[in-house]
Amino acid sequence: MIFEIIKLAIESLKANKLRTFLSMLGIIIGVGAVIAIVSIGSGAREQITARISNLGSNVINILPGTSRGWGGRVSASSVDVFTLELADYIEKVSPSVKRVIPISQGSGLLIKGNFNIQTTIIGTDADYQEINNYNLAMGQFINEGDLDTSRNIIVLGSELTEELFGNDNPLGEKIKLSYQKRDYLFTVIGVMEEKGAGLTGNLNKQAYIPITTFMKKLSNSRFVSYYMAQAKSGDEASAAVGEIEYFLIKYLEDEDQEKFNLQSQDQILDTISSVTASLSLMLGGIAAISLLVGGIGIMNIMLVSVTERTREIGIRKALGAKNKNIMSQFLIEALSLSGMGGLIGIFFGWLGAYAIAQAGKWPLVVAPISVLLAFGFALIIGLFFGLYPAMKAAKMDPVDALRYE
Amino acid sequence: MLEIKKIKKIYQMGKVKVEALRGVSFYIDKGEFVAIMGPSGSGKSTLMHIIGCLDQPTEGSFIIGGKDVSKLNDDRLAEIRNKRIGFVFQQFNLLSRTSILHNVEIPLIYAGLKTKQRRELAKQALESVGLGDRAKHKPNEISGGEKQRAAIARALVNDPLIILADEPTGNLDTKTGEEIMKIFYKLHQQGNTVIMVTHEAEVARHARRIIHLRDGLIEKDEVKT
Repeated sequence: MIFEIIKLAIESLKANKLRTFLSMLGIIIGVGAVIAIVSIGSGAREQITARISNLGSNVINILPGTSRGWGGRVSASSVDVFTLELADYIEKVSPSVKRVIPISQGSGLLIKGNFNIQTTIIGTDADYQEINNYNLAMGQFINEGDLDTSRNIIVLGSELTEELFGNDNPLGEKIKLSYQKRDYLFTVIGVMEEKGAGLTGNLNKQAYIPITTFMKKLSNSRFVSYYMAQAKSGDEASAAVGEIEYFLIKYLEDEDQEKFNLQSQDQILDTISSVTASLSLMLGGIAAISLLVGGIGIMNIMLVSVTERTREIGIRKALGAKNKNIMSQFLIEALSLSGMGGLIGIFFGWLGAYAIAQAGKWPLVVAPISVLLAFGFALIIGLFFGLYPAMKAAKMDPVDALRYE
Repeated sequence: MLEIKKIKKIYQMGKVKVEALRGVSFYIDKGEFVAIMGPSGSGKSTLMHIIGCLDQPTEGSFIIGGKDVSKLNDDRLAEIRNKRIGFVFQQFNLLSRTSILHNVEIPLIYAGLKTKQRRELAKQALESVGLGDRAKHKPNEISGGEKQRAAIARALVNDPLIILADEPTGNLDTKTGEEIMKIFYKLHQQGNTVIMVTHEAEVARHARRIIHLRDGLIEKDEVKT
């Protein structure tokens, strides 16, 4: 019986192909949009997550807080509290922390012959490489000896090397660094390998010098820009954050955490996920509205269909169809409409997601749950909006229906 | 076998009450061939709807096959229509989208029969009216006479207690109409109960008994000998 009714529904839908297609269009667009949007959202999130992990594992940035401005005073000046000694101190007192490295950074001009290039100069120590998962392409990185003697040596990012030296071997070459209107001569001792873009910008265009050189010669300051801490493992990352926070509050007598600011990878991930999630939710909501509109389209066409086929309903009733037979006939017709629309929508949504993933160069992620959800929602819409027309058909008086011209 | 007792049917048309049937009683035995005649407005359509269980009387009772159906609900009435009554309409009322065979199968679908059994019974019914070779055709591919024969096959397929025909020759030319009447006569001779509603004396003359209706009452009930 049910098989018979489904066959009947499909036959009647086939009899009016254009109309069937047009009434399915809303559902097709809705389901397609849901699948494409959810997939694009997860693809983008996956890409961002991969980029963040690229920054190094279990890294916690310890940034100085910015003091609030009074009246007309500029508020941007960072609080000067971060010394080299404090970095070692944090490392010692926090059991979950593997190491803490100081970072000073500023913008400088690298000059080689007639070429010059504006770049970010990073002053750091020997552990920078390991904390950031960042390997050398050639030469060597800053070592303890360089730090002790504050040597004028420099390690270049891959893109910098290419622009300054082309295909020549840069190792041992001298280049000029112009920093805050003063010039220094540096010897190139290493080149970093190429690394994908991180959140802080293009790593391949940065240059690295010993932190001691940076502080004594470039910045003339006792304070560094910020610290990078590394937890002993991913599981201990949140414990490490807690320990550092506890220590710094005590040490800096800074109950309100105005002098420092901790930024862990988890935190960044959380922020980004919540942003992408709310974005997906919003776009998904728009897609859901289009599904709803599609449902109204189905209801409209089903009402027309019921009126058109009043006589058929009369004939069927005269031949012994019960109300529920008529009801299920029209309900299944509405369900077939939304179901087929759903299937076509899944196909096009998938196709759209694939095309955009290709264009955005991120992985194609189509979660089965989103496909099921969109299809299920389409069916529910069909059921909901098909119910009223089907009930209208079922309740028709057989005598009136037979008389209908 | 079919008993109508003091049936009244009153329609409410706006503020006016219209009495379509004003107390009609008669009895029809198994195997009879009855014509219900009357001018338009005599109540014969209303009577046919009640006999066909498409409508229910306002007053009185209607017993078919020993069962009073005047108080049944929609679903029970649908069952009675399905199992005990075979309809033949003036406009044929075949579903245009599907084949003749499928049209004949419809009552069997609602009776809940399996596909194979349905197909067999429908084919038999079509052959009995001489339409075996038209089974695969759509209604718009065959002539009016053939359509009406297909409709008769559909009425017969469930082996009903009565065959109820509403102006069965109204949309046919005289010659084809005669042929259709011959089929009804044959069905009567085979022992089927046939009730036919018509306003044409020419058509009614084929019946063995004619019930004349006028203004919602029986005017004359003549039995041919």
